[in-house]
Amino acid sequence: MEISNIWYFLSALTLLSALMVIMSKNPIHSVLYLVFTFFCISAHYVLLNAQFLMAVNIIVYAGAIMVLFLFVIMMFDLKKNIPESKSSLTKLAGSVVAGTLLVILIAIVRKNNIPAPLGDKFNSQTGMVENLGQVLYGEFLLPFELVSILFFVAMVGAVLLGKREAGERNF
Amino acid sequence: MTAIIALSLFGISNLFLGFWFPRKTIQLVTLLFLVVSMALTVSDWNHELLWFGNMFRTTNTSINFSLIIQLAAFFVVAFSKAFGQDDEHTHPAEYYAIMLFSVVGAILMVSFDHMIVLFVGLEILSVAMYVLTGSDKRNLRSNEAAIKYFLMGSFTTGFLLFGITLVYGATRSFYISNIGTILTTTAPESMPSFLFIGVLLIIVGLLFKVSAAPFHFWTPDVYEGAPTIFTMFMSTIVKTASFAALFQLVSGIFGSLYTVWVLPVYFISMLTLVVGNISAVYQQSVKRMLAFSSISHAGYLILTVSSKQISTTSSILYYSLSYTLATVVAFAVLILVSEYQSARVEKPENFSSFEGLAKNNPGLALCFSISMLSLAGIPLTAGFWGKFFIFSDTFSRNIIYPVILAILMSAVGIYYYFKGIIAVYLKAGEIEKIEVPTLFKMALWACTLGTIILGIYPSLVKSVF
Amino acid sequence: MQSIPEIIRTIPLTNYIMLSSALFCIGILGVLTRRNAIIVFMAIELMLNAVNLLLAAFSSYYSDPSGQIFVFFIMAVAAAEVAVGLAIIVMIYRNIQSIDIGVLNKLKN
Repeated sequence: MEISNIWYFLSALTLLSALMVIMSKNPIHSVLYLVFTFFCISAHYVLLNAQFLMAVNIIVYAGAIMVLFLFVIMMFDLKKNIPESKSSLTKLAGSVVAGTLLVILIAIVRKNNIPAPLGDKFNSQTGMVENLGQVLYGEFLLPFELVSILFFVAMVGAVLLGKREAGERNF
Repeated sequence: MTAIIALSLFGISNLFLGFWFPRKTIQLVTLLFLVVSMALTVSDWNHELLWFGNMFRTTNTSINFSLIIQLAAFFVVAFSKAFGQDDEHTHPAEYYAIMLFSVVGAILMVSFDHMIVLFVGLEILSVAMYVLTGSDKRNLRSNEAAIKYFLMGSFTTGFLLFGITLVYGATRSFYISNIGTILTTTAPESMPSFLFIGVLLIIVGLLFKVSAAPFHFWTPDVYEGAPTIFTMFMSTIVKTASFAALFQLVSGIFGSLYTVWVLPVYFISMLTLVVGNISAVYQQSVKRMLAFSSISHAGYLILTVSSKQISTTSSILYYSLSYTLATVVAFAVLILVSEYQSARVEKPENFSSFEGLAKNNPGLALCFSISMLSLAGIPLTAGFWGKFFIFSDTFSRNIIYPVILAILMSAVGIYYYFKGIIAVYLKAGEIEKIEVPTLFKMALWACTLGTIILGIYPSLVKSVF
Repeated sequence: MQSIPEIIRTIPLTNYIMLSSALFCIGILGVLTRRNAIIVFMAIELMLNAVNLLLAAFSSYYSDPSGQIFVFFIMAVAAAEVAVGLAIIVMIYRNIQSIDIGVLNKLKN
């Protein structure tokens, strides 16, 4: 099979599973479709020669974040399908907004003068761990340290909000 | 730069102080921390420097913005009186620590020179605000505000990121200075067309944060539902920081793409003015009225984005300062009155609970009225000069119709701000003497005095900016 | 000269922009049409992933590692947001036994 066919197949699969995420009635199905979407995107990363990103995407997104989602859904016990309270009018308006944005984006991107590919200057080692590490701990040192503050805030905040106060019911 | 490091360390030490000390001590220590960080910020004055691989830039403008932000944080901390006293707020040290961290985020947003610093700063500020908005855990209104703010905030971040990505795709750089050079040296026709979409998406993402219409729909609900002390924080610090970032991007590096964004920005500015002012007229709740008033003030600020006068930056700084001082006082009095009325009436935040405030609390009534006068832009208050500078800057660039609309709308504004003053002085009501802590009283009078001094001698501050 | 991967030679960059735009718009559609807070949240994650994919594509096509580093930061920030967001959702579920954001309309007077 030609590689461009693989690309189109993979893209179709990505979009289809993304659509299923927002269409499924059951939140657990949504989570599973979302995990599948993440795997498809990881496959795209492999095609793009960004292997480390692929590994991180699976570990962080599919592994950590989605498991957190599943835990919360399991904790809530949302087996019964609660009918959604959103009216069909809002749904229609939402679809129109998203559809218009998509049409505008695609129309603009189609007639485009994309910068030419690099040719000789192309570096196939761009997405490798060694190269990325050099950049992350050199040029990007400040944001790297700042993210630690963000995590600190998130940690303190999540404990503050999630903690059960005295006298509060335990689910 | 050192201020950021200091504030992060102070935030961590604040958490430890929470083990041993009561709320009063932590509050005083936090105030001290903010004074120290302000001094550190000032120490960079007149040294235009790039830090950490050119990612962080300190200029006099960014220092002025950071000082306004830290001053606002100082007053918010001084006005925080409820923490630690009731069951809901049993962790005062955590709140103060999160506030210090969010000030770090706000400072990053006013002095970034790389898109990632803008993004991380915005996220530090936003994540901290999500937590603080929901901190009244058992109050359903606070819960609702938190989830709305959270979902809207992350939705917005998506737009901002998509915009940053498209701009990166077109210019191959995340550095603000590089992007600026590339955009000015290349003809717009030879740039990929998705660049313009990227620019517009970045602007939209930041306009969500400054709550400009039509992206304002979350603002009234979130401002009303959040605990008042954090509404004060949101309407001053988040707004100033986001607007400073927007201003730096739009009139700085995207300045050469003037034709792409100028019409949408005018339209949004006028729409914001109309929506903010007209909706504020119909509000019964003072808190909701202040939320709409903050939307309308965003409209005045957005008007300045396109006026490329040399004095524009100082006008914006002056406006932000005057708006901050007045808003902080208005919310502080609202905290006192609604706390007093909460046991007596069903809706303690309505105008009706302010009725007769002047009889037994002349000081509070005076502070509240002066802040209302300043927000309305009456002469001899800081708000008048703030509006005056903005209008004259915009007018001298031959932008006529938006300015006329803005002047008309500030006339509408006078109506609803005076509703507050009338309730305080002319309506009859029963409010006993409200007990005000010393620190609270000092901060209240300091802000009011600042408003008046800025109103009488505007050049005092304008010459610094 | 190092070899350019076949995908970069055969697939134009425009295709990636379109794919990401489509994914991004699916995310927007989810946010605007669903009411279940957790599904809305997942739609926002889809939007962030569209951005990640586009950044990685630009980064590979231009051989510029900073785009891929940006993706790491987006992942880190998304993780922090998820922690806080799920804490908020848990807090709400404790109070009202539901995560339908339509039930929460106390503020709409």
